[in-house]
Amino acid sequence: MADLTTTPATLPRRAISGRLVPAGSIAGLCIVAVVAGPYFLDSYTVNILVRSFLYAATALTVDILWGYAGILTFGQAAFFGIGAYAAGIAFTYMDFSPQTAVLALLAGLAVSAVVAFITGWISFFHGASPLYVAIVTLALPIILVQVLYSGGTFTGSSSGLVGYNTFDLSVEAWFTICGIGLVVLTTAAWFFVNSDFGRLLIAIRENEQRCTYLGINAPRVKILLMVVMAMIASVAGYAYAGYTVVVAPEIGSFVFGTELVMWVALGGRGTLIGPVLGTIAIDVISAYLSGNLPYVWKLIIGSIFVVVIVALPQGIVPVLKTGLRRLWSAATRRDAAPYVAVPALIEAPEGRRAGTGSDAPALNVADLACAYGSLKVLEGVAFKALGSELLGIIGPNGAGKTTLMRCLSDGYERTGGTVAVFGHTIARTPPQGVVGLGIGRSFQTTSLFETLTVAESLRLARYRLDGTRMLSHAPTLALPDSARRVITATGLDRQLAIECRHLSHGMKRALELAMVLALEPSVLLLDEPTAGLTKPERTLIGSILVDLVRREGLCTLIIEHDLDFVREISTRIIVLHQGKVLLDGSVAEVVGSELVRTIYAGGAHREPAP
Amino acid sequence: MSPTVLDIADLSSGYGEAVVLRNVSLSIRPGEIFALLGKNGMGKSTLLKTVLGFLPAKRGRIKLFGEDVTGLPTHLIARKAIAYTPQEQTLFQDLTVEDNLRLGLRDDRGFAEGLARVSEYFPIVGKRLSQKAGTLSGGEQKMLIVCRALLGSPRLMLIDEISEGLQPSMIQRLTEILLAERKRTGTAIFVVEQNVPFAFSMADRYAVLKIGEIADDGVAGDELAAARVQDQLRV
Amino acid sequence: MTALVLDIVTTAAILFAVASGLLIILGVLKIVNFAHGGFLTIGGYSGLVVTQLGWNAWLAYPAAVVAGIVMGAVVERFVIRPLYDRPLDAILATWGLGIIIGQLITIVFGREIQFVQTPITGATSVLGETYSLYRLFLILAAAAVAGGIAALLNATRLGLEARAVIMNEPLARGLGINSGHVRFVTFCIGAGLASLAGALITPLSSVDPNMGVPWLVNAFMLVLVSSVSLASLATAALTLGGAQVLVSTFISPVIGGLTIVVLAALLLRIRPAGFGHG
Repeated sequence: MADLTTTPATLPRRAISGRLVPAGSIAGLCIVAVVAGPYFLDSYTVNILVRSFLYAATALTVDILWGYAGILTFGQAAFFGIGAYAAGIAFTYMDFSPQTAVLALLAGLAVSAVVAFITGWISFFHGASPLYVAIVTLALPIILVQVLYSGGTFTGSSSGLVGYNTFDLSVEAWFTICGIGLVVLTTAAWFFVNSDFGRLLIAIRENEQRCTYLGINAPRVKILLMVVMAMIASVAGYAYAGYTVVVAPEIGSFVFGTELVMWVALGGRGTLIGPVLGTIAIDVISAYLSGNLPYVWKLIIGSIFVVVIVALPQGIVPVLKTGLRRLWSAATRRDAAPYVAVPALIEAPEGRRAGTGSDAPALNVADLACAYGSLKVLEGVAFKALGSELLGIIGPNGAGKTTLMRCLSDGYERTGGTVAVFGHTIARTPPQGVVGLGIGRSFQTTSLFETLTVAESLRLARYRLDGTRMLSHAPTLALPDSARRVITATGLDRQLAIECRHLSHGMKRALELAMVLALEPSVLLLDEPTAGLTKPERTLIGSILVDLVRREGLCTLIIEHDLDFVREISTRIIVLHQGKVLLDGSVAEVVGSELVRTIYAGGAHREPAP
Repeated sequence: MSPTVLDIADLSSGYGEAVVLRNVSLSIRPGEIFALLGKNGMGKSTLLKTVLGFLPAKRGRIKLFGEDVTGLPTHLIARKAIAYTPQEQTLFQDLTVEDNLRLGLRDDRGFAEGLARVSEYFPIVGKRLSQKAGTLSGGEQKMLIVCRALLGSPRLMLIDEISEGLQPSMIQRLTEILLAERKRTGTAIFVVEQNVPFAFSMADRYAVLKIGEIADDGVAGDELAAARVQDQLRV
Repeated sequence: MTALVLDIVTTAAILFAVASGLLIILGVLKIVNFAHGGFLTIGGYSGLVVTQLGWNAWLAYPAAVVAGIVMGAVVERFVIRPLYDRPLDAILATWGLGIIIGQLITIVFGREIQFVQTPITGATSVLGETYSLYRLFLILAAAAVAGGIAALLNATRLGLEARAVIMNEPLARGLGINSGHVRFVTFCIGAGLASLAGALITPLSSVDPNMGVPWLVNAFMLVLVSSVSLASLATAALTLGGAQVLVSTFISPVIGGLTIVVLAALLLRIRPAGFGHG
């Protein structure tokens, strides 16, 4: 197999060792600082910092969920509380021993995981709004606190549980354990969010819908993430209960939950280090100031928070970082460009296309209807399409063309009729499932991921088939022949490291096409692929498409307004008008049709001028 | 009276990074009916949206009644003696016919008089005042938005593909009304269309938009011009 | 039995009054005003100020409305307007505002629970049961609020423009409506309503700097389930409020406090439009 390496073979390898060494050394330094800490700091500060470390670990989970995956959650406090109360209850009623310690830890983990799973399952469904998950996660700590209140003396109600036996460790030992734990967690998290999987999370945050059309089961990813983050928060809560020997409803309350979000926002959402440092800083300062000015301090924090949200949404730490970076490059007169990993392109293994060897038509649409309330957008649409057909879909505005594409790619869209791909009906399957049946859809308005590079976007399209790494960047990226041809023909292969937002419009459309082809679809749905392109760009894309259909035998449906273009490349044309199929025939039939001319150019009627 | 009601100079605009209109220039004189023709996706609606401020102009300048309005917020542009009938999302479906009409004026002054006038043009509108606009047929909805546009006696009307889906008799009626209104108030009308006969039956001058650029323009006088334009729009 | 029915109706009335301000802001501005709890508190403390000044207790209500409108104007201008296209951030910023309001009130008035003079005291006999006169008054108050909002929306030019903005903001702007102005006025009215609701509920318990918080979450859930319709809000208040009363009475008051939140979350999962239509 030809190895179409377009980047030096040494580059990817440096990518991994290139990160491990600096990351490892920083982590090492932090651990040294943590171990040395108690010798340099007074005992009051050490005491506070233990608690701050645990809060910071919880804030980290909020940042991963919110800053990276875009899930605004007020509920991590609830999982902290569950972990803490698991310890508190176990140590109060079963006395302290290594066995109860392990039992309590596992119980906290199990309960948190189950609650997080249920929360995720409720919140992340097809068509859910991001607001809904914020609501449900807001409800979690409220429910938890009420359950604790109603637990009477068993849970200690509003005063909680105090004074149980716990681990026999000095404050300094707790400091070291929690500190090292935080460093390890932060380092692992850093590798996680900077891996290929981390880019997947960001893609889900930026454009979840597009991800589902790339075959990514976004709801499942988010549920799993929630479960893991809940378990981490539960461990932090467990340690908190072990250290402070007090568990009270406040630690699982929604006030704490919103404080966590505030600390992440102030520190800098989506930066990991920002929330960790921000939480520690705010917690320590609060401890010192709240003795003297309790309400004023909260007022100050609240005001800074509002100002940050309105004026500095990326938070304080990133602003500092940018400032420092500018100073550094001014001082050293060098541009500190961030490192971007560029994979080597290799060929994808053959034969994973859906429907190969099947006798059924690629697409079989029967009696398709789509209505919004009383407005009928599509009615009685029926046609069959075979592989090796290039179907041009034309019609005036409002005829229902894009709606047709939606109904073919998303099982929830249509209100009646059936759509079958190689004999499998799509029923009520969401887009990620329909991709699995073999449908690849591109969008009318370029629906790319702003901050992802070209290579990362292509890798996303390969997630369903190739999976993705969770702690590093893979050195290679497998693409099918068709996608590689598009990339080389349009010059995208020289722009693999460029972020999508910096691409020209023509390149974006090319990337969109390449991504759809990377899915290895059997049926291509293209919605105005040449919109906004210049004439030479259009010719290029056109020839690529014709080439594709001939070589790969892909069944392709293409919506276009440029009728000359459609005429040139199509083997068959379907004309839609007011939601119904007006004509379905060869190019010659449609072009020569009087009926079509009437609806397009307005008329055989020649009204006399008044 | 200013020499032009609408003056577009070197206008480029589009959606996001895409450039849909390139260096478009045209001007419309008072009382003139100007037709902009072109197939789907050629940029006609984009032009109207840019004039109204829904889309920012990437380059160029737009003047309404001699005043530079490039970059002004939409609601301020909409308040200058103009009326716009959009192609999509034309009505508030859940508001009554009467409420939809009321929104054609800045306040209720002159509503009664205006309503009487437009009801003469389209009696149906006057009879269905308390019905929800969404329950009207497609053609009736188009009549409604024309009525809304005529209420304020504008000096420039911007009409986006109104003939689409209308029966020939309605199109005829529409032509009569627009010409009558032009005679009554001297309003200029900017008609954006794919329907060449309809456009030519009213227009004084025309231009053809092809892939975002003006490909042809001239006086909408004779059969030859109409046939030539028809050819350019052929399937 | 009568007492139970009256409890349900009065609870529904209170919930409606509290949630109405949040609803109109969500409808027109498309954002959730998490400072709603703070505005409720401002209303409560307006009542306290009226009591401390020795004025007629009835003046608490107009005082609350004025305080709410003024605060609302400031908030809209400096916090809401910049966050026009960032709705999730608007939730956070308004939540922060709620904290600020709570802290300011604590600094000015102190933390302790305080009592406010009620304009109506005592009880009356309804179908053989004695029932709080003030609670019955609240039914009237809620009806008046509903009527006022309906009148504003349906009989005024501003209301027409607001309805237009709710349905289709770009079309409204294309017809010359200054949607920024409509949003501003709506926010002020919503804040005023929240404040009024705060003044209405204080005689039922007391005022403290965080009194608005428990109401915020319930109001929030009710509004989401109502899908921008006053009629749906009334239905939601009656059904979910009724459920809360029933659970509190027959199971436990603590669990009862969760009823609205849990039921609303489940309802939204099954039917995202809630009680409204799409």
